[in-house]
Amino acid sequence: MKILRSDLMLIWLVATTALCVGLLINQFRDTPLPLVYRDKAERLQDSVQRIVSKESASAPAPIVQLPEKLTLEEFSSYVENKRGLVLDTRPEIFHRLGHVPGALSLPRDDFETGYAALKGKLEADRSQAIVIYCSNASCEDSGLVKKSLDALGFSNVALYEGGWSDWTNAKKPEETAQ
Amino acid sequence: MKFFNNRWFLLVLRLALGGVFLYAGATKVTNPQAFADSIATFKMLPPQLLNIVALGLPPFEILLGLMLISGWKARAASMALAGLSIVFGLALGQALMRGLVVDCGCFGSGEPSTLKTWASFGQAFLLFAGSIWVFRSASNGLKQDAT
Repeated sequence: MKILRSDLMLIWLVATTALCVGLLINQFRDTPLPLVYRDKAERLQDSVQRIVSKESASAPAPIVQLPEKLTLEEFSSYVENKRGLVLDTRPEIFHRLGHVPGALSLPRDDFETGYAALKGKLEADRSQAIVIYCSNASCEDSGLVKKSLDALGFSNVALYEGGWSDWTNAKKPEETAQ
Repeated sequence: MKFFNNRWFLLVLRLALGGVFLYAGATKVTNPQAFADSIATFKMLPPQLLNIVALGLPPFEILLGLMLISGWKARAASMALAGLSIVFGLALGQALMRGLVVDCGCFGSGEPSTLKTWASFGQAFLLFAGSIWVFRSASNGLKQDAT
């Protein structure tokens, strides 16, 4: 019984130490995790707020209006004819492994950094055609990023809902990161 | 039965178990946000606790893994790991019963899937069994030391 009690005490001590270590490591991260959880949509909204607060977004009228959603054929023609930007909202590692030709990485899980990296291309014209995709029809990343871009004043953003799985199933060309 | 009590088998089991938890902790400690997202899919904890668990659990697994590998206080470490395996099993079991499609997050984050949840459930059971066996052998070792 005495051994059991000392074991439990030790476990408690190790657990407390682990929590302290975890909290300490967190303080040294570039973006520390807040103590209260924010879900994906809330985090993206926070990122948008921070970007908006740095600048005022203005949206001139679009020249060519894209539909809300693109089918595989429409998206394929859009890509082949290079009609506008294509954004890949999957985590960057997946983008590196393979993406739609010409697609740029704007991962939902690191929106702020990705947006800053693409700022020049994106903000050159807020009415330019942009098509967004993620993994497949059930992933929510592209929808969340579209909402964020809408909030930032981008007025011509469409979704390719089939996503990467639809694209690869159709044996369409792929590109990998250099 | 004799094989399972062989000292070499017990050594390999202890090292393997320690290695599994060390690896599991290391994959999660680098991306606590992804781990918090995984835990959130289980719909078990309030938002106030999710990030605390995501920050504290990976270092806890690493420390317990190191304790098992080094053999220092292996009994206490295996007891804690058995407890953790029960918690993981319960979390996965309730998700399966409620029909939730969750991302286990056991070894880093991935796509949520029911099939993977069943596999993780089986994995938790094996880890529990392994931990109990190491705990039992460590307890027997203590008894022999005492006599």
